[in-house]
Amino acid sequence: MMAGILWLLLAVMGGLAVLPLFASGYIISFTIQIFMWIALAGSWNLISGFTGYVSFGHVAFFGVGAYTGALLVTQAGWHWLPASLAGCVPAAALALLIGYPCLRLKGPYFAIAMLGLNEVVRALVSYFESFTGGGSGISLPPILSIAPVYYAMGGAAVAVTLLTYRIITSRFGLRLLSIREDEIAAETMGINTSLMKLYAFLLSALFPGIVGGLYAWYSSYIEPLGVFPLLTTITMIIMCLFGGKGTVLGPVLGAVLLSVFQELVWARFLFVHQAIFGALIVAVVLLMPRGIMGVLQERYRLPRTV
Amino acid sequence: MRRAFVLALAGMSVSLLVLEWGAGPTWGQEPIKIGASISLTGTYAKPGKYTQEGYLLCEKEINDKGGLLGRKVRYIIYDDKSDPLTAIKLYEKLITEDNVEHVMGPYSSPVTNAASTVSEKYQKVMMASLAATTSIWERGFKYLFMTISPAEVYLEGLVELAAERGLKTIAVMNEDTLFAKAAAKGAIELAKKRGMQVVFHEAYPKGTTDFSALLIKIKSLNPDVITGGTYFDDAVATTRQMKELDVNPRMYGVTVGGDLPEFYQLLGKTAEYVYGSSQWEENLLYPGIKEFVAAYEKMWNHEPAYHSAAGYGACRLLAEAIKRANSLDSEKIR
Amino acid sequence: MMQVQITGTMVLQIVVSGLLAGGLYALVALGLSLIFGVMRVINLAHGALLMLGAYTTYWLFALFGLNPFLSLLVSVPMLFVVGAVLQKLFVHRVVEAPELSSLLLTFGISIFIANVAMLAWSSDYRSVEFLTGSFILGQIAVSKPRLISFVAALGLTGLAFLLLHRTKIGKAIRATSQHRDVAQICGINVRRIDVITFGLGAGLAGAGGSLVSTMFAVYPEMGLIYVFKSFLVIALGGAGNYPGAFFGGLLLGLVEGLASLFLTAQLSEVIAYIFLVIVLLVRPAGLLGGRT
Repeated sequence: MMAGILWLLLAVMGGLAVLPLFASGYIISFTIQIFMWIALAGSWNLISGFTGYVSFGHVAFFGVGAYTGALLVTQAGWHWLPASLAGCVPAAALALLIGYPCLRLKGPYFAIAMLGLNEVVRALVSYFESFTGGGSGISLPPILSIAPVYYAMGGAAVAVTLLTYRIITSRFGLRLLSIREDEIAAETMGINTSLMKLYAFLLSALFPGIVGGLYAWYSSYIEPLGVFPLLTTITMIIMCLFGGKGTVLGPVLGAVLLSVFQELVWARFLFVHQAIFGALIVAVVLLMPRGIMGVLQERYRLPRTV
Repeated sequence: MRRAFVLALAGMSVSLLVLEWGAGPTWGQEPIKIGASISLTGTYAKPGKYTQEGYLLCEKEINDKGGLLGRKVRYIIYDDKSDPLTAIKLYEKLITEDNVEHVMGPYSSPVTNAASTVSEKYQKVMMASLAATTSIWERGFKYLFMTISPAEVYLEGLVELAAERGLKTIAVMNEDTLFAKAAAKGAIELAKKRGMQVVFHEAYPKGTTDFSALLIKIKSLNPDVITGGTYFDDAVATTRQMKELDVNPRMYGVTVGGDLPEFYQLLGKTAEYVYGSSQWEENLLYPGIKEFVAAYEKMWNHEPAYHSAAGYGACRLLAEAIKRANSLDSEKIR
Repeated sequence: MMQVQITGTMVLQIVVSGLLAGGLYALVALGLSLIFGVMRVINLAHGALLMLGAYTTYWLFALFGLNPFLSLLVSVPMLFVVGAVLQKLFVHRVVEAPELSSLLLTFGISIFIANVAMLAWSSDYRSVEFLTGSFILGQIAVSKPRLISFVAALGLTGLAFLLLHRTKIGKAIRATSQHRDVAQICGINVRRIDVITFGLGAGLAGAGGSLVSTMFAVYPEMGLIYVFKSFLVIALGGAGNYPGAFFGGLLLGLVEGLASLFLTAQLSEVIAYIFLVIVLLVRPAGLLGGRT
């Protein structure tokens, strides 16, 4: 079974690797955005899917990465790829700064604090105008070929998924899951829960930072309202939940299926797609809280590590 | 219970789908396709809709007069949800899959900024009908054309008028977004040039509803003129709250807001004596305006706003350019 | 650029308008706090319910010319029913689930309601031009709609407290929020209390919406900002601490006003949230104490 899945994955990746050679710009652009969502949903999964701590402001790391990437390109004249990779540095720093105190907060309070974090970061970015351009945003040079971004974004998506696999098969992963199931019991067993949570939080912040940098280059223009929206966080969560939280392939499936779904729905039902999205969230939460992977794992006795 | 719930969900979705069915346009014979993404939902839905109506009126008129280069013109318009990322995807779709000849701009400066990179890449002409910030135009794009005056001059009229009347001091506030900021910057620069003293300038975040503190600060400086780089809701709110807090400058003007018919409908008498700034008004005496307004009202059953006129105008301009170039080739149109 | 000289009058003016705004925050937050206290559900649809209340008032005013403050008599019961139905159909399924479920569920409901409202009534801004202008007291201007809304908000908050403390249902609600299981053992029908509580919370949101409509523009997405503010209020006052919600509301109004007076409107947001995080960390139970 495992081997079958592996072959399927390899085939899909092989197909995706040659896609830019023949696909239209629209398909490539669409796939880039799916990659982006895979990386984001996968990152959110690392903290919230594993430990149960709901990060309701995860887009803050994305936004910080976007600004870092954009500033390095426009002010320091860096090439876009290292500039995007550098986006993970401030994202990680922010995660440490915020995670250390806030991960002590329990349940809904952590969610609220994270929501607040995002608002604060956005307001600060707007405020330090001389540095960030404030509400005017930053324009980057236009990109003439999106294929390199395609591979970079694809790389980020693959890396996040591999990292998740690496974690789920490790003792570290088991410790995180034990926090989700019962934090007090985990602590009693001698697990340093604060440290584990902080590690997970740090890891979950890295890739949104990088992806943010890539986004800045890809969209060639960023502004505070565009890179810190609450809806982006919600979308990550929904994708991860729909696919199956705490699994390796869950965020991937969720991101792909929901992106395709949204694309199909838009084309036909202009004014109602948002309402349908709302109804879909309700349906996912109530009807399949464990997500597609949860259902599949149960029905086909797939290993936990898929 | 569970079944009732599933039924309720299903019912909800079905009723929504039915609501939307059958809105598609009809196909003509080998028409010239022009693409656009417009903010029909999301933050910019309101002015976006006016723009779309302008495009569609123009499409209808061109076709009624026998089309362009002997072919019918067909607009393909998608909704970008006021989101730059979606707009990028849609312009890729328009150009690479729908094979449109040229594109019209989306609504708002941020979205245009992102979308114009796509049209530039494919060397398609983009008539950016509603992006008024000069920074977009400073990127050196070759295929991007601007049809309305830049944001920086939105408040020019107001400041000129104030300076002529010998008013001395001015206070400026603006929403912290691309367009509003540029408008405020333009006002400040011109005011300085005309020898007025800028006594106050502060930005407020998008979504602010309570302007008490800001207005009280302005009130304490007692400026002759107060002006704001606003979008719409903030223009309504500041105007109301100025009245409530008894802030009475000699002149007061806003950018977007004062120009929409809704401004007056919302505020009633409070809206009087507020200077608006518009790219176009129906009582201007250019030829064709009366006809435009009449046709617009007939087609859409409400008055046009300047966004409609800008959309319409940009579309006519592109048609004219194509006619004169007698070709759809980007290089010739330029 | 001239330096703004902040005078005592200006501070007084801000204190007045901050308190007036705060009364409204308190009313809205009380509804959220009730629901959270009883069910541990963070109701992100609170803003959408507020919006429905605002539209109720708007339409009654626009179509029949009904006094917006009288329309509270319609909007509150109506939203009570909406809330109770939501609870019965959807929310009760996630009461015992981890908080992620309830956060997402109520967010989904909120998007749905806001977008159906947009389909039905368009995203046009509307306003209830009933009372404008202010009473001038010395050098202080007190906005008429804000003052009346403040008084109405105080009255409604008072009524809610009477209900919670003087009636049997109120006592059952408080008992359930203190300890769900014990309340159930004592013979309280917890499910029924949940429905009533959600209805009450929604009713308070609706009342908030009716009052907001007399001051600010009414549109489908107007509610979200009040949800954020209510979080702050709850964190300040302590979750499930009902008097705390009231004082938290007033405090938030003051802090916001003063921060934007002494600094800028942009920084006032930052200050409010930093305040929130510090309070959460130092006193997780809220400034006035509550349940964690």
